[in-house]
Amino acid sequence: MGYTIAEKIMGRASRAGAPVPAGTEVEVKPDYVLGYDFPGYLDLIFKQMKEEFGIERVAEPERYALFIDHMVPANTPEEEELHIVTRTWCAENGVRLHEREGIGHQVAAEAGYAVPGGFVVHFDGHIAQLGAFGTLAIGIHTQLLEAFVRERIDFTVPETTRVNLTGRLAPGVMARDVFHHLVRVLGPRSCRFQVLELGGPALGDISLEGRQTITGLAMFTGALTAICNPDRLALDYAKAHVTQPFEPQASDADATYAALHEVDLTDLAPIVVVPPNPAATADLADHAGLEVQAGYLGSCASGRLEDLRAAAAVLKGRRVAPGFQLHVVPTSQAIMADAAREGLLTTLIEAGAFVTSSSCDYCYGRIATMTAGQRAVSTGTLNVTGRMGSPDSEIYLCNAAAVAASALEGRIADPRPYLAEATEAGA
Amino acid sequence: MSLAPLRGRVAYVFEEADFDVDQIVGVENIRLTDPDALAAHAMRRFDPGFAEKVEPGDVVVGAENFGYGHPHFAPMIGLRRLGIRAVIADSFATGYWREEIAEGFPQIACPGITGLVARWDEIEIDWEAAEVRNLSRGGALPTAPYSTAERGMLQAGGLIPYLREKLAADGSG
Repeated sequence: MGYTIAEKIMGRASRAGAPVPAGTEVEVKPDYVLGYDFPGYLDLIFKQMKEEFGIERVAEPERYALFIDHMVPANTPEEEELHIVTRTWCAENGVRLHEREGIGHQVAAEAGYAVPGGFVVHFDGHIAQLGAFGTLAIGIHTQLLEAFVRERIDFTVPETTRVNLTGRLAPGVMARDVFHHLVRVLGPRSCRFQVLELGGPALGDISLEGRQTITGLAMFTGALTAICNPDRLALDYAKAHVTQPFEPQASDADATYAALHEVDLTDLAPIVVVPPNPAATADLADHAGLEVQAGYLGSCASGRLEDLRAAAAVLKGRRVAPGFQLHVVPTSQAIMADAAREGLLTTLIEAGAFVTSSSCDYCYGRIATMTAGQRAVSTGTLNVTGRMGSPDSEIYLCNAAAVAASALEGRIADPRPYLAEATEAGA
Repeated sequence: MSLAPLRGRVAYVFEEADFDVDQIVGVENIRLTDPDALAAHAMRRFDPGFAEKVEPGDVVVGAENFGYGHPHFAPMIGLRRLGIRAVIADSFATGYWREEIAEGFPQIACPGITGLVARWDEIEIDWEAAEVRNLSRGGALPTAPYSTAERGMLQAGGLIPYLREKLAADGSG
């Protein structure tokens, strides 16, 4: 009997040390335990460790890495004090801290925690995006505490739903659209408590950045996480970033799946996700023309080089609509530097974009906060009520090129005509 | 050690699938942490007189994928303050389930529950038989099983007391 990649990774990390079938209760040792500081997250875990369990230090500090990516830069003394708590704890524990390097889920890949065949936990489910590299990365919410006070954590090996992607993406249609299309086709409860495994011939045509986007949003299908069997592209990235030896895993051809779907990407068109529901997928064309006042290009779910390139292609030689607020926030500082070297930032800035260093803060309205009656197009993770400001503001999620096109028109706009023109001009 | 028996009325049925629990207190209140303040806001938009009607021991019922979206702790802090002792749903959203079980708040997956009960029916949860019974009009349905860890958290009263037991067992093992 064959096993899925998830069964193999969880089995390897369990006491069995070998693949275990879905449904088995195991005690697994995470290869990495990750988290970021935010009120009630790491500070609470540090406090609980000490006060509830009398534990001052984690036993194997090399298995932990923490991030300061929210509330960056701080804008109250309390926020800075919270960062000091995190810095102090990391220094005392000998735990690596990544501060001001970018959004942690991206920095985790850059810093080498996306180990093919590895098992990673975080409280935040968007860590699922390490699945692009064949890492099983799961957001376990408050239960992350267990990984700070015990060597192993309890887990039930999840079942897997496999999706084979076929066909070819049209220009102007991006990985972001692929994910929201999956929610449309499979539904928001299709993968509850399962792993979403992506494969098929079209996955090979999607960049690692695109795969990070798709896997990172897996929670909106109900999945615990998502994963891709690592191909040459993923393994080459891992070899360049992971410092320790690793053993990649992949699903067997005769693995058992809870469900198997084939999704053809050929006729896919740009999508918007209509507020306030992350599952309310619609064709962008059905909402084109709706007035928008703000645009956000960034987050752990987009904001990488291919997103910045797509936006730059749309915006090159043009100006955003008068009064429109376009915020561009590269996902990490490394990506921002690459974008600068490519000249993308110049193009974006000259088009009128407000470009800033990497931070999580735009995604949840801590800055660039919308007031009642305002509406944004966004590549952020979520469109729920009040996510980017007032409960009476609205967020339409879409791909990076669509954010750029909408910024030009001040209305939800299809990026494809702009991209076609850019291609013609370049040819 | 076993779970305390649960017997009470269905104080509300959320019929919407993929229900966003933040609506229970309103998005504008999800940053509140004070149970009394949250109880004051809870359920107002669904039934303004809810707080006067609910009694300690009551439960609420949800449909498929209850807790979808980006749920916060505030709504259930409010409902617990009002006396709600459990949530029973056709099925639960993954993240919501994990967080509320870790709070030690009984969440009971019972496929078909929205067809078995109506508002204000008296129900009973039989943990040993793993079923929900409708005492008002008859009928019963099986509940989905818990993992050992989930049951452990519910029995211990949440993640922290559960982990204390685990650490004691690790130490003696």
